[in-house]
Amino acid sequence: MRNLDPKRAKWIRLRMGVLCGVMGLGLGGLVSSAYRVQVEDGPKWRETAERQRLRRLHIEPKRGTILDRNGTPLAVSVEVPSVSADVVEMLRGVDGAAPQEAALRDASTRIASALNLDANELYGRFATKHRFVWVKRRISGEEAGLLRDLGDAKKQPHPLKGLAIEGEGHRYYPGRELAGPVLGFVAPDGLGKDGLELAMDDELRGHVEEVKGLRDRQGRLIFSEGVTDESALAGHDVYLTIDEGIQHVAERELDGARGTYETKGASITVLDPNTGEILAMASSPGYNPNDYGESEPDARRLRAVTDRFEPGSVMKVFTFAAALAAGTLKPTEQIYCEHGSYALGNITIHDTHLNDWLTPTQILARSSNIGALKIGLGLGEPGLYSAFRRFGFGEPTGLPLPGEAGGVLRPRGRPWFEVETANASYGQGISVTTVQLALAMGAIANGGRLLEPVLVHKVTDGRGQLVREGVPRVRREVVPPHVAKMVTEMLTAVVEGDGTGVEAAMTGFRVAGKTATGQKFDSATGKMSMEKFTASFVGFVPAERPRLVIAVVLDEPMIGHAGGNLAGPVFRRVAEASLRYLGVTPAPGTKIAKVTRANDPADVTLTVMHPKDAPEPAAAAAPPGVLPAPGSVKVPDLTGLGARDAVKAITQAGLMPQIEGSGRLVRQNPAAGASAPKGSAVRLVLEPAS
Amino acid sequence: MSAYGLSSSRLLGRARENFDWALFLCSALLAVVGVVNLYSATSVVRASLQEMYIQQIYWLVVGGILATVVAAIDYRHYERLGYALYAFGVVLLVLVFILGRDIRGSSRWIYIGSFSLQPSEFMKLFLIIALAKHLHDDPKSEGRTLVDLIVPVLLTIVPLLLILLQPDLGTALILGLIFLTVSALTRIQRKSLYWLLGGIVGIGGGGGALFVPLLWNNVLKEYQRQRITAFLNPESNIQGINWHAYNARVAIGNGGWTGQGFMRGTQNQYLFLPDQYSDFPFPVFAEDWGFLGSIVLVALYGFLVLWSIRVAATSKDRFGAVLAVGVGALIFWHAFFNLGMATGILPVVGVTLPLFSYGGSSIVTVMMGIGLLMNVSMRRFYVAPGRAARLGYM
Repeated sequence: MRNLDPKRAKWIRLRMGVLCGVMGLGLGGLVSSAYRVQVEDGPKWRETAERQRLRRLHIEPKRGTILDRNGTPLAVSVEVPSVSADVVEMLRGVDGAAPQEAALRDASTRIASALNLDANELYGRFATKHRFVWVKRRISGEEAGLLRDLGDAKKQPHPLKGLAIEGEGHRYYPGRELAGPVLGFVAPDGLGKDGLELAMDDELRGHVEEVKGLRDRQGRLIFSEGVTDESALAGHDVYLTIDEGIQHVAERELDGARGTYETKGASITVLDPNTGEILAMASSPGYNPNDYGESEPDARRLRAVTDRFEPGSVMKVFTFAAALAAGTLKPTEQIYCEHGSYALGNITIHDTHLNDWLTPTQILARSSNIGALKIGLGLGEPGLYSAFRRFGFGEPTGLPLPGEAGGVLRPRGRPWFEVETANASYGQGISVTTVQLALAMGAIANGGRLLEPVLVHKVTDGRGQLVREGVPRVRREVVPPHVAKMVTEMLTAVVEGDGTGVEAAMTGFRVAGKTATGQKFDSATGKMSMEKFTASFVGFVPAERPRLVIAVVLDEPMIGHAGGNLAGPVFRRVAEASLRYLGVTPAPGTKIAKVTRANDPADVTLTVMHPKDAPEPAAAAAPPGVLPAPGSVKVPDLTGLGARDAVKAITQAGLMPQIEGSGRLVRQNPAAGASAPKGSAVRLVLEPAS
Repeated sequence: MSAYGLSSSRLLGRARENFDWALFLCSALLAVVGVVNLYSATSVVRASLQEMYIQQIYWLVVGGILATVVAAIDYRHYERLGYALYAFGVVLLVLVFILGRDIRGSSRWIYIGSFSLQPSEFMKLFLIIALAKHLHDDPKSEGRTLVDLIVPVLLTIVPLLLILLQPDLGTALILGLIFLTVSALTRIQRKSLYWLLGGIVGIGGGGGALFVPLLWNNVLKEYQRQRITAFLNPESNIQGINWHAYNARVAIGNGGWTGQGFMRGTQNQYLFLPDQYSDFPFPVFAEDWGFLGSIVLVALYGFLVLWSIRVAATSKDRFGAVLAVGVGALIFWHAFFNLGMATGILPVVGVTLPLFSYGGSSIVTVMMGIGLLMNVSMRRFYVAPGRAARLGYM
């Protein structure tokens, strides 16, 4: 303002300068507060932002499927509606503490009556005023309908806000008890709790961090460039080496044996000795992971892996192999068996049969302890111990399963004394697992190589791309091939003539194997029990070109006790059914004495399997109606079927099931009768029966 | 500018030669950045809101035309019409109570057909003009006494109370602050100043103790009370009342030094940011462009505010000076409160960010204010013949 006297103008300028200064300070304050938020605390806020975007609480990525080696689903995730509430949203527009409390009371009462919950308990959860509160998980379709009505402005004078019904992954095991302890189960929080579900939880669960999967405030998925579908987030599918068919037979026979002999428990491992792939692994009693809550923790144990026991005579096989390899035993050598009684130090060892001079083959066939201990002592403590270690005993096999036992070779942690060496040579005073026995026997079957066990055939990601594959790996060569061959020959004698394992003999195939009856330690008396024992049979078939190694272990049978009599038949029946299932036919010209056991009802199958009556290999290889013609297949009609039957039918048709919902099938896409490319997906929509 | 060309060149005369390019460029830059930012802010919201930036451009065009008109008419006409304009504004404010509709607990708009108007926005300009007229007409070169302050206080308190009753705390606050800023430039007699300061301390200390609970319980609405409590206890209820302020800060902090890039601000893009087009456009900007962007933005507002003081200092008369300071104060307090509440140094009060926040009345008001500034700036050397004679220049 120039039209003023100079003094006054100067004064006004001063004031304006001060005003500029004050405003400048204010702006400076803004810059400094922006600096504090953006630069100083920037990383903290950035982390908060990250957390908000990556909230995974609402929807877990779809958990991967577990399938058998042929693609039959063993564990699948289906979407089951669950209801959650956003309490902040629920109270939007309600001001004041008292009206809010009243609103929450009202909401909890109405929701509780629709979902059959306790209103007070629900109110307690709402009172936290969190943005995310689980109301009820796994609700029925009917409940979901009632809940939708509560939030519908057309049907309610005061519709509830902030309720969300979302599909939540629910684990479903179509095979029920099938491979239950192998698979384990998944808790409602989406975490695998046992078996493979626990061991491979990270892979099955999927990782949000790996791809930039983001969520907005409503919890909807938003993706960064390039990723357009949720399958990228989904967990990996795991294909096992387990064959559903063989697993089924193994479990059936194991449960049968447990019932017949009233055993405390039983376990079985079936593997391919050429690859180390585990074809079946079962534990009895088993459980149904769909209702894991109703099972005893004892039944959830995969005994073949977690339980160690005293193996008994089966260890003679490995003692002999080691001695033959070391040259301390000649295959034709005659060994004096002391007429069934041998004093070693201050103890006396007895044989069940009173033998004098026996060849190694006879020692195995008749299971002479005295013969075995002489061979073991001939080999010496260091040789025997290291041989057992080389066969894989005394350490876990490395299966991807929780709680695997390693077994104990030197219980006192020092080299064996002479008596202990003698005991160890026929499997006493040491402990092993069923899987270890099967793998060690596999080394005899395949010409002396100890393989790593393979349980996971392959892992594929959500889009079907191969992530990794389980390949056969040789751990070490334990004995030379000719020794393995010799031992195999000896083992065939066990199931022939007056051998202990005749119960395991099969018509049409030569069986090599060894029976065992292991003592059990009685913790009550502190001594080896006279009543409790472990009966087992470990063998392979066909002896010339082995396809299967089967280890059967029966824990504390009440009826009968010789390993060969109890475990032998289990071996035989599993072997017969499995070989038939695999399409293995007897090699032409194999001379096998016909085995007849008229008193065993299970032997009805034997007459069918007589070589003369054996079906043509091609027919045997194709189970009826399993393999569709290549190219396209007809989609079966599944209407009204339950999830399990629908999945089974669709898989058998050579198609991939995609399950939505639970209950009975109401819709399918493509429709029944339509032609679909083999291996393509069929959408199955299930709804609870109303 | 052709608009000026269209106007009578006789009327503008020398004024046109003094066109304030700095003011024009700074305002234009802010307006462009504001629209671009609005585009980023609304790019992910539902379709109906995505056209907001186009609507905003319309408002800017309307505002630009009005600003041109406001700048073209010699401001001595506003001086003459000062009280009439003021009265018009007050009438509009009263009409709000009659014609207004209740939206989210307060009525601030007048509806004329499909058109809505927020009189409290325009009232800011009318108040500035009225205050300028009063201070100009009544120079009091020996300094003002308390009695002399009664008229300006009344001029302010009438619309302020009317706006407070709507209720619109933010706008009322801005009116009060404009008055205080303008009065800071007037000379008050030493004795009166002591009385004034003493009175403020007395009322603030003693009467405040009585008045605040009264205000708290009877005048303030529940949501206002909650905002204040939330500000005083920032960690108390992050999920509830502080949610907006909290998320604003998350977005600003997420920007860091250099920002996430245009339309890449994740907090905004993923809808974590509330009111991103009205009260919180700054977090969008700060997240996209980072601290460096924030500095530039504050600098632009700072330039505009300080430039308006410069315009005041060089203006040829008291009316123009008060006008310029008033508009400067308007922009300053808006920017200060909006950015302050976004960065968390001030409580959440609904104050728009000039040229950034979406809204017709707000945009047009700010544009017309800038037109006034331009008016004063252009005529700093120009004295219309008749006026010059009266002032004794000729």
